[in-house]
Amino acid sequence: MSEGGKLVELADAATLVPHGSSIAVGGLSLNIAPMAFCRELVRAGVRDLELIAVVSGMSSDWLIGGGCVRRLIMGLTSFEGFGLAPLFRRAAETRAIEVEEYSEHTMICMLQAAAAGVPYMPTRAGLGTEVISLHPERTREMVDEHSGMRFVACAALRPDIAVIHAHEADVLGNVRMLPKMIWFDTEMVKAAKCVIVTAERIVDTDSFRAAPELTAFPGYAIDHVIHAPRGAWPTACWPEYPYDGDFYKAYQRAARDPEAFAALFAEHVGPLRPPGPGGER
Amino acid sequence: MSDWTLDELVVTALARAFDDDIRAFNGAVSFVPVTAFMLARATHAPGLTWVASSIAVDAHPESIPESTLSDALWGGATMYQSSAFDFWPYAQNGRLNAFCFRGAQIDARGNVNNTVIGSFDAPKIRLPGGGGMADLGCLCERVFLWSTTHDPRTFVERLDFRSGIGWGDGPDHRASLGLRGGPQLCVTNLAVLDFHPQSRRMRLCSVHPGVSVDEVVAATGFELVIEGEIPQTPEPTAEEVRLIRELDPTGARKREFA
Repeated sequence: MSEGGKLVELADAATLVPHGSSIAVGGLSLNIAPMAFCRELVRAGVRDLELIAVVSGMSSDWLIGGGCVRRLIMGLTSFEGFGLAPLFRRAAETRAIEVEEYSEHTMICMLQAAAAGVPYMPTRAGLGTEVISLHPERTREMVDEHSGMRFVACAALRPDIAVIHAHEADVLGNVRMLPKMIWFDTEMVKAAKCVIVTAERIVDTDSFRAAPELTAFPGYAIDHVIHAPRGAWPTACWPEYPYDGDFYKAYQRAARDPEAFAALFAEHVGPLRPPGPGGER
Repeated sequence: MSDWTLDELVVTALARAFDDDIRAFNGAVSFVPVTAFMLARATHAPGLTWVASSIAVDAHPESIPESTLSDALWGGATMYQSSAFDFWPYAQNGRLNAFCFRGAQIDARGNVNNTVIGSFDAPKIRLPGGGGMADLGCLCERVFLWSTTHDPRTFVERLDFRSGIGWGDGPDHRASLGLRGGPQLCVTNLAVLDFHPQSRRMRLCSVHPGVSVDEVVAATGFELVIEGEIPQTPEPTAEEVRLIRELDPTGARKREFA
């Protein structure tokens, strides 16, 4: 491997994501989403994505605002105490994007099935709800012929790409979360065909050898590494920086006024665009 | 004049339903239950277990932030459940047994909608989504509901979408799906309700001070089970009020009462 190994410049991030890709974006609500990466996709005008986000907020809202998203596959999309995600809400209500909603656990199961290379993963979660009947090709109720037990079969969901944010990585793709909190990221990393990590710091491989118990993902599981200091902003990269509550509030305030919002979005993210098909790149 | 506010009454009514056998965890936007878990633990249920954000085991935060999935809620924890594998099997095997839901719509059997108003494909209002509702309504033996908007738009005869199951279509529905337990209680800004043991329809237990039974009936879009005289919800004690204000010094719980 060359000296730079798996390193890619943040400015080149969008070249890793063809129009029309299915892409799983990591993080949990207001925590450690790969926001700098999402910003690059908006700026480059990547189109027609199938976005997979289990419990997200600002990351999905930015990608929808940039016109990058054709379909959102989600469990929950909100800013929590800072309110509803405004661009997601508008896009769903005007049917500018397709929304597929599943539950948190059935989405984890779909990703686990993809990682395991099996057609579906069974769970009791979701029984008796409408969530599992929306898309029978992804989730459906089945009965085990031996035990008679009812369960939900969650079909394998294999993203083309997964992108997560972490505290530290090396050029080989070793990844450290400090502390090692990996939530949905771990399922995304294992399920996706191509895995991209943005990291606060690029560190020596020797520092991984000095503390292997802290490693969250091994180098062989990661395809590309991007140095992105403060790359989770405005979500939190705990314990190094908290979520930026003032930004969430300013975003919500601006969302009531199209002109003010376009200005805020242009300053912090990129151009607002309606969704649409991607051309050649 | 009483020295408590409505949010403190609701938190107290929910907390009093918790006991030492509650092994709870919370999801997003759960300011009222988070305060109630801490209050119960600090008063009558010291053995109660609460996993903050479904992540931080036995957390003792100094205050409650704008997100109930935030690190600011994890202080003093004995463990971080840092992946699906660290958490979900305990919700599935019953070691964790309790969860609280809110919903944009709640029906008579405690089924909830947090997905859409209108149809799924052409929603009038796109809500945040069910998140873990569909999962935890199934898996948890002890489900508690709360609502700060007790009105006919929230308490409806028919949900626009069933994001999470309560007692389902009737008393035997959960059992036929192989599911344990079900919703126990629903605490609102007007009243405390439970579920009739035979019909599993919502039943009025008590009305809050200053609220009449007729007002609750008028605010509910389905027929409530009402049996005999309905008592008043007990007021929070001075000690409960003091503890709530100490556990939630910034008043995060009040966000839900806008």
